[in-house]
Amino acid sequence: MIVVVGVSHRTSPLALREALAFPKETLPSALDELREQAGVEEAMILSTCNRVEIYASGLEDPAPVAAFLAAHHGRRQDDLIEYAYRLAGEDAVRHAFRVAASLDSMVVGEAQILGQVKEAYELAEGAGAIGSALATLRHRSFAAAKRARSETGIGRNAVSVSSVAVELALKIFGELEGRAVLLVGAGKMSALAARQLVAAGATASVLGGRTFEKADALARALGGRAAPLERLRDELARADIVISGTGAPGTVISRADVAAARQARGGRPLFLVDIAVPRDVEPEARDVPGVFLYDLDDLKAVSEANLRERRKEAVQAEQVVEHEVREYLDWLRSREVAPLLAELRRRGEEIRRAELEKARRRLGNLTPEQEQALEAATAAIVNKLLHAPTVQLKEAARDGRGDMMGLIRRVLGL
Amino acid sequence: MGSRVYLLLTLLFYTAGAVQVLVHAATRRRLLSLTTTAATLLGFATHTAALALRWNEAGRFPAVGLRDVSSFLAWSLVLVFLLMWLRSKVDVLGLAVHPTAFLLLVVANLSRPEDKADPYLQTLFLPVHATLAFLGYSALFVAFAMGVLYLIQERELRARSPRTFYYLIPSLEGCDRTGGRAAAVGFPLLTLAIVTGMFWSAAARGAYWTGDPKEWTAALAWLIYLVMLVARHRSGWGGRRGAWLGIAGFAAVALAFVFVTLAAPGVAAAR
Repeated sequence: MIVVVGVSHRTSPLALREALAFPKETLPSALDELREQAGVEEAMILSTCNRVEIYASGLEDPAPVAAFLAAHHGRRQDDLIEYAYRLAGEDAVRHAFRVAASLDSMVVGEAQILGQVKEAYELAEGAGAIGSALATLRHRSFAAAKRARSETGIGRNAVSVSSVAVELALKIFGELEGRAVLLVGAGKMSALAARQLVAAGATASVLGGRTFEKADALARALGGRAAPLERLRDELARADIVISGTGAPGTVISRADVAAARQARGGRPLFLVDIAVPRDVEPEARDVPGVFLYDLDDLKAVSEANLRERRKEAVQAEQVVEHEVREYLDWLRSREVAPLLAELRRRGEEIRRAELEKARRRLGNLTPEQEQALEAATAAIVNKLLHAPTVQLKEAARDGRGDMMGLIRRVLGL
Repeated sequence: MGSRVYLLLTLLFYTAGAVQVLVHAATRRRLLSLTTTAATLLGFATHTAALALRWNEAGRFPAVGLRDVSSFLAWSLVLVFLLMWLRSKVDVLGLAVHPTAFLLLVVANLSRPEDKADPYLQTLFLPVHATLAFLGYSALFVAFAMGVLYLIQERELRARSPRTFYYLIPSLEGCDRTGGRAAAVGFPLLTLAIVTGMFWSAAARGAYWTGDPKEWTAALAWLIYLVMLVARHRSGWGGRRGAWLGIAGFAAVALAFVFVTLAAPGVAAAR
């Protein structure tokens, strides 16, 4: 059975997640220890800033894994009780699928988690800790995650500030190929957004103030050119997208600057992103026709609206994932019952043969007709006796009644 | 009897398409699914059959009387939509075209066919003029719809808090380009329709220009589109003004269309 033990952003404070994290280089040895101490057959450890989780197979109960998680980090088990989830069987499988599909993420639908899970499996595989159970879980949960992503919009709308800026640029200009981006100030956030825009085909130039070297370095990194802040009006007239993020205390771009630029542009839209606090662009500039001015609060409003959209889509994605979970569980169960049925059949046949042997010894020589009758009678007894348990087992497997399967197993002494 | 059945079938297919598009818009699914496209294509096929049968039944080109006019208009609209969609894949156009095609088909199915024989209509001018005009109307309708979508999207973007349409409508630039392209197709068609209409008028009434309202409105629409296309050509960007011109031009076109249709069959050419 598959078990999952872990803590996540939903269940625990950051400090605890930090304390329980597994640095990448310690993972192989941790996986060895885990298999030795907890008696699991296969194991995988997923350790990101939002979650620390151990996936394992070969146990009926997650307790030994939980004990390992605490002990490995020098904690008492009681410390984890209220923070850690201990899942087994169906719940563990569902959790694994939902995590991979980014439905359990802090930002629903974020794309990084699948890569992180992938890496965790690869590391575990390298440490020789992956067998058939986790291999199929990995395969099935990845397939479900990809389906959820392609069939619903959970990953569709941008959420981070810089990618919201890029999304808005796309909403205005359609494509960014050949669009001119002007960075006013060479801050980190501007650089982040600019890099995404340049990657989409835009060209960049950077205006620098007192620290011109910084602007020059960023311009070169972006494959563009730098200019002094005094050239603002000329550069504004040429730009399609302006990202302003200086540390200046007052207004850097006035309404008059924007109006002048707009005049020179002949009606083409101008997209201004003001990520500075205090703001660089005079707020009245947003009244200039054809100008789209977004400050940090505006970007956050878009981000929140997008997140609401994602959550709506997540309802659909949950259904897709649940469907895949069911299919996987059905498959697991059908695999589970097959050896049991074979075992049942084998035991019946074994007993029949043994008793037949005893009877023959007592009866001495038999005519072929008698021999045939004896065969037929014993075979019929075994078949009739096993018929009901066989049917019940198949039904129990189909309905996922693990308890029933256990009961039949015990009653028949298998 | 034949064309009736096909027209009804067409209505069913277009209803399916329109309902799907609206439901998908409300639930933020991809607007045009495979089923929507299949329903549209099937509807277009039965529609074509309906028009062919109707042509045969009426004994003249089926573009006279409310029933034939709305049916033919819907047909050319769907044709133009399919061609534009193949080229630019602007799904959101379906939001304007599918419900419109559905409404036109409802009107067509509810109105009686106009079967009065009219010597003025037994001319090659009817099919040529009507086809040019209707294809032109359809392309200009697309330009109009893209203009409306442009203005809505611009409002969404300036409001800085996205609602439904922000997600539904493509980029401003995309609306602008598709609208411009549609106008660039619709304008020559409109021009040719006006020219053939003038020749028809000359042949039937002996005058190229009689000064009735439909001629004035058509001329006005032509001028509006001329201004729009020239401005667009100059700056490479229609923008807000382009969107408004596309809307105004279509209003004039629609008015001209009403004047033509209001006139009884034959009168369009004869009075």
